[in-house]
Amino acid sequence: MLEGAELYFNVDHGYLEGLVRGCKASLLTQQDYINLVQCETLEDVKIHLQTTDYGNFLANQTNPLTVSKIDTEMRKKLCREFEYFRNHSLEPLSTFFTYMTCSYMIDNVILLMNGALQKKSVKEILVKCHPLGRFTEMEAVNIAETPSDLFNAVLVETPLAPFFQDCMSENTLDELNIELLRNKLYKSYLEAFYKFCKNHGDVTAEIMCPILEFEADRRAFIITLNSFGTELSKDDRETLYPTCGKLYPEGLRLLAQAEDFDQMRRVADHYGVYKPLFEAVGDGNGGKTLEDVFYEREVQMNVLAFNRQFHYGVFYAYTKLKEQEMRNIVWIAECISQRHRTKINSYIPIL
Amino acid sequence: MSGKDRIEIFPSRMAQTIMKARLKGAQTGRNLLKKKSDALTLRFRQILKKIIETKMLMGEVMREAAFSLAEAKFTAGDFSTTVIQNVNKAQVKIRAKKDNVAGVTLPVFEHYHEGTDSYELTGLARGGEQLAKLKRNYAKAVELLVELASLQSSFPGSNVPLLISSQSWMRESEKNSIG
Repeated sequence: MLEGAELYFNVDHGYLEGLVRGCKASLLTQQDYINLVQCETLEDVKIHLQTTDYGNFLANQTNPLTVSKIDTEMRKKLCREFEYFRNHSLEPLSTFFTYMTCSYMIDNVILLMNGALQKKSVKEILVKCHPLGRFTEMEAVNIAETPSDLFNAVLVETPLAPFFQDCMSENTLDELNIELLRNKLYKSYLEAFYKFCKNHGDVTAEIMCPILEFEADRRAFIITLNSFGTELSKDDRETLYPTCGKLYPEGLRLLAQAEDFDQMRRVADHYGVYKPLFEAVGDGNGGKTLEDVFYEREVQMNVLAFNRQFHYGVFYAYTKLKEQEMRNIVWIAECISQRHRTKINSYIPIL
Repeated sequence: MSGKDRIEIFPSRMAQTIMKARLKGAQTGRNLLKKKSDALTLRFRQILKKIIETKMLMGEVMREAAFSLAEAKFTAGDFSTTVIQNVNKAQVKIRAKKDNVAGVTLPVFEHYHEGTDSYELTGLARGGEQLAKLKRNYAKAVELLVELASLQSSFPGSNVPLLISSQSWMRESEKNSIG
C-alpha cells in the first residue's frame, strides 16, 4: 500500500523528480553510440557530442583534444547537475544525496590519508579528488601525522565517522592496508545506506533495496574473484563482504571458502538471480567478463527504476547511468585515439 | 714508393734477417687486427639486427599495454592517483654486467625481480582482472625496454673500437703494400 507517497511526494520533491526525468531523457541513445563509434578522430567525437545534450561543453578547449579533457569536462557537467539537485533538495532527500556522495568521499579520504602519510602536498591531492565527494574538512588533512590523528581531528566531523567506527578501533587504523580499509569502509557505508532506504519504506525501499542488494552481492563476488592468488586470507576476505545482500548469510559463508571460479559459480547457482548472469560469462578472451555482465545488470536495474514514480531511486539511477555513459564515451574515445578499434563495441549500451 | 716511408738501413745480411723478422711481426699484428675488426663487425651487425627487431616489437607491446590501460580504466575507474601515491621500492631492477668480445668489454643489462607486488590488492572491488592483465603487459614492455637499452648501449661501445681497429688495420695494410 503506497502510504501517501502519491499524495505528499510532489510537495517537496516534485520539481526535482521532474528535472531528473528530463535529464534522463537526454542520455545518449543507441543511435548516438553508433554515430560515435564511426568517428575517425576525437574532433569528430566532439562534433557528434555537440548534437546531443552535451552541447558545446568542449568549446573552450585548446587543441589538441585529449581523452582526459573530454572526461574532465563530462565530469564537471555531471557535478553541476548533481549539485543543483542537491542544493534544491529537502529532507529526507538531502540525506539520500549525502549517502550517495559518501562513496566518493570514501575514495577521497583514502587518497588524502595516503598522501598525508607520504607527506605529499595537500594541494596536489585535492586536485585529484572526485568533486562529488568534497567535504569541508578536506584541506585540514595535512595537520595530522598518523591515521588515528587524522581520524580524531578531521574525519570525525564528516558523515564518514560512523563507518570508521564500525570497522575498527583507532589503533588498528595505522597498520591496516589502504585497500582493505577502503573496502571495509565501503561495506559499512553500503549497509548504512541500505538501512536508511529500508527504514524510509515506501516506493524508495522497493526500488533502492534490490539495487543495493545487488551492489552488495556484486562486491562479494568480485572481491572473491580478485582475491584468488593474492595473499588475502579467507577470513580477511569474509570481513569485506557487505551483509545487506541476498547472499547473506549462507552464500557469503560459502563464498569465503571458495578457491576458484568454478566454486564461486556453484555458489551463484543456488540463487535464481545470479545463475543466468554467471551463465552469460564467456571464457578467456573474446567473451564477456563477469564484471561486464554485472555492469549490464546494474544498468538494467537502473533503467527500470524510472518506471515507478514518487521515489528517490531516480536520482541514484540517473547518476549511475550518467557515470556509465561517461565511461562508455571515454572508452570509445580511447579506442579511436589509439586506433585500436577491435573492441570499440564493448561499451555497455544503456537505452 | 714514397720518400718519407724509407727506413735508413745498412745493407748487410744481419740487417736483412732482422728486417724479415720485423716484417713477420708486423704481418701477424695486422692479421690480428683484422680478426679483431671482423669479430667486432660481426657483433655490430648482430646488435643492429636485434635492435631493429626489438624496436618493432616494442611498438606493438607499447600499443597493447596502452590499450589494456584504457580497458582497465573502463572497468576499474581512475586508479592512477592511488598507484602514483603508493610508489615506494622498485620491483624490477637492473644489473649491469660486462661482456668481452675480442678484447673489448661491452656493457649488458639484465633485469631481475625483487620484493613482492605492493599493488596486489588494488582493484579488489572492481577491475582486478583487467589490472592484472595491465600489470603483465607493462612488465613485458619494461623487460623489452631493458633489452633495448642494453643493446643500444653496447652499440657505440662496439662501434668505436671497431673504427679504431679498422683504421689501424688500413694504415698497416698501406704500409705493407708500400714495403
